[in-house]
Amino acid sequence: MTLKSIFARFGLIIIIVMFFSFFSYISPVFLTFDNQVNIIEASAIVLILALGMTLIVAMGGIDLSIGIAFDFGAAFAVVALKDFGVAWYVACLVGVMGGALIGLLNAVLIVILKISPFMATLGTFFVGSSVERVFTNGGGPISYRRMPQEYRDLAVGDVFGIPTEVIIAAAVCVVYFIVLERSIFGKRIHAIGLQKDAANVAGIPVRRYMFIAFILASATCAIGGLIGSANIRMFTPLAGFSYLLDAIAAVFIGAAIHPKGRPNVIGTIVGVLFLGMIGNGLNLMGLDFNLKAALSGLILVGALALAVAQQRFR
Amino acid sequence: MTQSMSTKLLAVFPIIVFACLFVYLGVQSATFFSLGTFELIAKQAVPTVIVALGLATVVIAGGDDVVAGGIDLSIPATAIICAAIIADQLTNQGNSLVFAMTLAFGAAAIIGAINAFLVVGLRMTPLLATLAMSVAIVGVTKVITSSRRIGVTDETIIFIRDGDIFGIAASVVMTAVLVVIFYHALHRTKWGMNMQATGGSRDAAEISGILTRRFVVQSFLIAAFAGWIASVFVLARGSGSSPGTEENMLLEMVLATFLGAAFSPRRVVTLWGAVLGAVVVSALSVGFISIGVNVFWTGCIKGGLILLVVASAAVASKGRS
Repeated sequence: MTLKSIFARFGLIIIIVMFFSFFSYISPVFLTFDNQVNIIEASAIVLILALGMTLIVAMGGIDLSIGIAFDFGAAFAVVALKDFGVAWYVACLVGVMGGALIGLLNAVLIVILKISPFMATLGTFFVGSSVERVFTNGGGPISYRRMPQEYRDLAVGDVFGIPTEVIIAAAVCVVYFIVLERSIFGKRIHAIGLQKDAANVAGIPVRRYMFIAFILASATCAIGGLIGSANIRMFTPLAGFSYLLDAIAAVFIGAAIHPKGRPNVIGTIVGVLFLGMIGNGLNLMGLDFNLKAALSGLILVGALALAVAQQRFR
Repeated sequence: MTQSMSTKLLAVFPIIVFACLFVYLGVQSATFFSLGTFELIAKQAVPTVIVALGLATVVIAGGDDVVAGGIDLSIPATAIICAAIIADQLTNQGNSLVFAMTLAFGAAAIIGAINAFLVVGLRMTPLLATLAMSVAIVGVTKVITSSRRIGVTDETIIFIRDGDIFGIAASVVMTAVLVVIFYHALHRTKWGMNMQATGGSRDAAEISGILTRRFVVQSFLIAAFAGWIASVFVLARGSGSSPGTEENMLLEMVLATFLGAAFSPRRVVTLWGAVLGAVVVSALSVGFISIGVNVFWTGCIKGGLILLVVASAAVASKGRS
């Protein structure tokens, strides 16, 4: 094995290990069990959104409106709880359906009106954020302090000592792994992403698959919104936007560590945990808030550049 | 016959929609079609026009596929960091405007070079590269400004804000000159033709001996340059640098540039389209405020318009083939 081929296969993994060792060396707290759990817990929501994004990118698209789906999930659930007094599981269902609405809009724009995914989801983003502003009279949060404990437990509860949000994220991971990596549906989604025309010729109902995938991805993001709103006991308009870049970055970092450079579930998990580790490690170093923002941005560019360079060497 | 008629109708559909909107605004608001309003619209459009010129250049050189072709989402962030550097140098460090602008130019050049390296050198998707760069630049800007507003009282900046040249607002005159320079360079020189060929068909351009990679690199440098120029007008408009202004600018830039494509006969991104798009967006914002539409709806209207334009373009091209 030459140095080049080692880099091509393991470059990013080596960098991840280097960062891990560095943070362990710098901060005595970093390596503790509690802190590692912290990283995983803090990554749960991003992971859920990034999995939705993985599905879309694997299909050859992009979804800039995942933040809106996140917000709609939170908004529909909180309003259902607060104004209609429904049971917590009904609220969850309503939230997921609220998110699916965004997916439906995207699917109509992309599959039926044939707008490119970038422009369509950007438009959805515009329209969605505006609707959120109008609905909340300018962007004020909708708070519900006395929400049912079961709903609140989505974010703060635990089962046998494992935080609920981690369990939810893990469950979404398992479902996505089976659907995207081990089922006919997943194989066909990858086929569409690799060669849309060929997939069509091969008899895959491409349009129907794309339609389903966009709705599925947005519904998944809404699950993240449920957890987010349960955590802070309110719906904050436009909160979902902050997850967009991390989700996209995680998918592309994940694709880089795949032998064939494809977006995949395991890779996305690694990508999300890598970003979570960077955030956590920089926090522990006690850096100034602004410096932290700059460093994590620069590390992100570096990691993505490395991820892409790694693929080019193959 | 009816087929081609409906296709033709579809082709001008976005223009009809905009014309109707403006007529509506004119009827609703007595002052909409007045010189004062026009000047306000032009002044408001200034920074968007400039960053949209940069984006249009990148799209022209890289092709108009938004994911695989050329796109630069880091131009607004570049404008914001340049504004922060200039404001910091003027107000906090007490240096001259020339020095401050030179320093900001250096920063913009570095950003343009990194973008070019990521896209041309590493062949990273422009969308991903420039989006990540945008986040990194905003982070570094926070370090420069400590997330605080920095006021600027420099005479030249104040002149750009308030002054006029031959009775027309100084910022508008300067931007008009810039538009003409961009137009001349891209449409009236051999260099510009080569750049257009690069974006039109990369393979065909390469076969005819054009060094396409060089033109894509140059387009990213020009985009960063546009961000640098825009920073001066951002400073003038806000009387200083303020944190968090890049997001709205990003949306307006993308909206203006791709909306502009609707006004071009072939539905492609052009310089004039970008300029016109920015002015139309600004006019709609001013118009809706003047007739008292809830300001929170404007995002919805803008989003709806861009979808309308892109959808009618997609349907029209389907009808043609």
